[in-house]
Amino acid sequence: SAQGLVANNLNLKPGECLRVRGEVAPDAKSFVLNLGKDSNNLCLHFNPRFDAHGDVNVIVCNSKDGGAWGTEQRESVFPFQPGSVVEVCISFDQADLSIKLPDGYSFKFPNRLDLEAISYMAADGDFKVKCVAFE
Amino acid sequence: AQEEFEIKNMDMKLGATLKIKGKIANDAVGFVINLGQGAEKLNLHFNPRFNESTIVCNSRDGSWGQEQRSNHLCFSPGSEVKFTVTFENKQFKVTLPDGHVLTFPNRLGHSHLSYLGVKGGFKISSFKLD
Repeated sequence: SAQGLVANNLNLKPGECLRVRGEVAPDAKSFVLNLGKDSNNLCLHFNPRFDAHGDVNVIVCNSKDGGAWGTEQRESVFPFQPGSVVEVCISFDQADLSIKLPDGYSFKFPNRLDLEAISYMAADGDFKVKCVAFE
Repeated sequence: AQEEFEIKNMDMKLGATLKIKGKIANDAVGFVINLGQGAEKLNLHFNPRFNESTIVCNSRDGSWGQEQRSNHLCFSPGSEVKFTVTFENKQFKVTLPDGHVLTFPNRLGHSHLSYLGVKGGFKISSFKLD
């Protein structure tokens, strides 16, 4: 699919929350939300996989530092369905990113890059961003 | 200079409505909301200027087009505001916070907008595409 929405100069600070709402395609295989400084420096690569890379209904998270991927972390909760509207809320502090999922689930991912602000967001895959809020 | 908040690869088609909420800085002289194909190809340049008590709209296709000015400046520095932009075939309709509607012609004629840029004394708090 075509490259999804990219946002620059967001300037999201620790304690602030980024809320992203969008539509998951009816035939969705996978989608991605990347957050960080730019495309090579991601404090969070958030990749729900419906059916992709041998994974079924798994969220894969990772970081990217200077273009190099870190160690993957997998979440077994998967409150996503193809053909639905989903909303996730992401905030961060010095230690962790906190990701709130639909249906009250949440998890943390270590803040490996030690960024002072999240300035970059990019969506990709079978997900169309409809609404973004900074709170 | 303050870096521009920008969205690329937006998928705004004819008939779509973009709602933008945010806060105007207390010391704002003005701000800009740009919509178009990229920073140098703007179907709509929306530029409230508090120091001139006017709203300037224009288009840009490498160089600026002819300005259109409105004196309906119904908002002020320090306030939380919402703007709604409806993208029609021939024109944009910009609904101001008090409900007044400004129209501006779609001079560049595109049927798709992929770029949103915000700069100056306006901090965006949300945007929504319907």
